Amino acid sequence: MNAPAKHTDVLAAADDLRRRTLADMPQPLERLIYLASTRDYNTGLYYHHGLALRFSEEAACEALADCHREAFEELVAASLEELVYELESYLKSTRVAAGDFIVAWKGLEPYRVAVPVGIDSLSSELVFSNLKVALAILEQRLMARPKPGALLHPLPVQ
Amino acid sequence: MIGLFLYVALGVGLLVFLWALARRKGAPVEGCGLQFVEARQALRTLQFGLLPENLIARIFDPEDFRYVTAASPEEIGKLFLQERSRISLMWVRRVRSEIRNLMHFHLAYSRLHAKLSLLTEVRLALDFALLLLACRALRILLYLRGPYGARAVVRVLTAAAGRVCAASEKSLAFLNPPALESFRRDSAGHGAAI
Repeated sequence: MNAPAKHTDVLAAADDLRRRTLADMPQPLERLIYLASTRDYNTGLYYHHGLALRFSEEAACEALADCHREAFEELVAASLEELVYELESYLKSTRVAAGDFIVAWKGLEPYRVAVPVGIDSLSSELVFSNLKVALAILEQRLMARPKPGALLHPLPVQ
Repeated sequence: MIGLFLYVALGVGLLVFLWALARRKGAPVEGCGLQFVEARQALRTLQFGLLPENLIARIFDPEDFRYVTAASPEEIGKLFLQERSRISLMWVRRVRSEIRNLMHFHLAYSRLHAKLSLLTEVRLALDFALLLLACRALRILLYLRGPYGARAVVRVLTAAAGRVCAASEKSLAFLNPPALESFRRDSAGHGAAI
């Protein structure tokens, strides 16, 4: 990770990322969580093996960072209604019991570590605040129509 | 005798006035680079972090509230209003703080470097006064009426903040000369960084 990547390589890598990996993730929330997971907590650098092989580690890193910021900006612009829908879609995609998901997200607030670098604190606070309300709405809906496996119980370990 | 006292009082008054004028310090020109960088940072924060139209529209959009009240119980509505009020108050506080940073920069340093006409300076001073007043009024309205009770003040505030940003952009334009920008763009393609 020494020299900065060429701008054209970064654009090509980002395009490749959007067409292949991110094509299966239509919701920005899903993309945000996925892209945040490709970032090293200690260095703040992104890594994607396939993309790094096809382009370069530097280009892949910058492309992942760009797509991460893009997903976050889409979340900032999303209305609360859209956010509830996105949260529900994301919940379905995780295949986790809805109750466990709600408890974990309310308790751990994993979205707080999924913010890209350089985002203004007001934008991130707006997204956190909207996600908090969206979670409350989703929880209330799930409680109104309980399903097997959707029972709310506390996390075993927090 | 009374006339003498008057003349002495006038003389003392003039001396005090001259002493006060002599004690007034101008902003030191040396070492003011940091203030320019801070002013540019405040300007960037306003332009890209606090004043983008879509962000303001999202914070103060009543559609979200309509959605919550239509689809959720009362306690979620309360939670939403509490959260949105917190965010809108945070927005006003941040805007006020950055505006004050820019105002201090204009008062102390801008006139040394930027050629602003008297009319522009007067307009700028009025805009700063209007902005600080609007920020205060907005904070009170947000406390009293919640996030959707002050949309007109939000519009006034954002318009005045836009004008101040445009004037500050001119004052700070010399920090990002076009030649350097084009050099930066060209060099990025060859792996060199400035």
